[in-house]
Amino acid sequence: MADIVRKHVVSVEGQTVRERLQAMDDSAVVTAFLGGEERAFSELVTRYQTRLLNFVYRTIGDREKAEDLVQEVFIRVYRHLHRFDRSKKFSTWVYTIASNLAKNELRNRSRNPLVLFQTVQKNFQDEDRPLQFEDTTSRPDDMYRKRHLREIVEESVAKLPEHHRNVFVLRELEGKSYEEIAEITQCNLGTVKSRLNRARNSFAEIIAPYVD
Amino acid sequence: MDCREFCDQHLAFVDDTLAGIELVRMQRHIAECESCAKHDAKIRRALLLFRNLPPITPSADFSHRLETRLKECHREQLVHTQRNLRFGAFAAVLASVIMLGYIGTTLYDHAGPPGDVVMAPVVATIPDSDPEFTPITTSAPAIVASVSAGLTIWPSALFAEQVPVRFAHSKLELANYTR
Repeated sequence: MADIVRKHVVSVEGQTVRERLQAMDDSAVVTAFLGGEERAFSELVTRYQTRLLNFVYRTIGDREKAEDLVQEVFIRVYRHLHRFDRSKKFSTWVYTIASNLAKNELRNRSRNPLVLFQTVQKNFQDEDRPLQFEDTTSRPDDMYRKRHLREIVEESVAKLPEHHRNVFVLRELEGKSYEEIAEITQCNLGTVKSRLNRARNSFAEIIAPYVD
Repeated sequence: MDCREFCDQHLAFVDDTLAGIELVRMQRHIAECESCAKHDAKIRRALLLFRNLPPITPSADFSHRLETRLKECHREQLVHTQRNLRFGAFAAVLASVIMLGYIGTTLYDHAGPPGDVVMAPVVATIPDSDPEFTPITTSAPAIVASVSAGLTIWPSALFAEQVPVRFAHSKLELANYTR
């Protein structure tokens, strides 16, 4: 009986801590983790895993690799969180790590075309899998059209130069401010605006024939 | 507003960060210029498509894989910390032993009675008296000047070179005086 009560208390306490962590902002969660609260790191993972995965995926275009890179981001955060300057935004720091890893991945691919070929081949085989985001209640032709459109959009993004794509994804998908993008990409504000403007124009040009 | 200015301001226009008056000017330009209106519509439509891409979610085993890696990472960090601590402790012990050894040796040296100071043997010779020998009773002007001026290197070397001669001379002089 005592065991049951103890378990219940622990679970209630655990729930309370989790709820408290959920209510905190990033900076407070980081402080909690550095103060020895291991569950705080899970909270950070929960907050950022999907956002980072989408960001990295849209930047490199390979889902599996994107997952690996996001894992690497969290490992680096775990190792170096004590060095993080808490006067700055945690999200900017995390995105900077992710952006650098994605850039390295693209650089490695350009040096080793075999990797790129394998990625393309793998994605090609993945075409047979059912898509997760389609509404199965839609009519088949609607589903096909949506899927086709999605592929076109993804291909169009992939056609952008790497440094344009990075800025474009950060702004349009992640909703980052120009200043944050400048910090993440280590560029000045003028460069960010210029790259974003060019990326928007190029993307619109590439996709226009398909949507008109 | 001309089309060039419109294109320059278009980024801020789409992001809705223009000041009120600029915004009105841009809107007026769109109403007047068909080409810019088309460009604006094209960009906005493309962005809408991109922003509405369905998000992807982490795979089912993502959390499990991450947890495993984090545990490994935690273990590595612990091992690393322990190794650092062990190395630190070893270094501290080693330094303590060396320090204690040094202190012990010093104390042992000072504990015994002070020994006699052993000086290096000195051999002094008086040169044979030379009838034509004329001792220099004063220092050479160069040496005197250098000594008073406090110049060290060359004058000191010269002085040192001539010291034995000078001592010998003074010895001989002294002998002459006593006679």
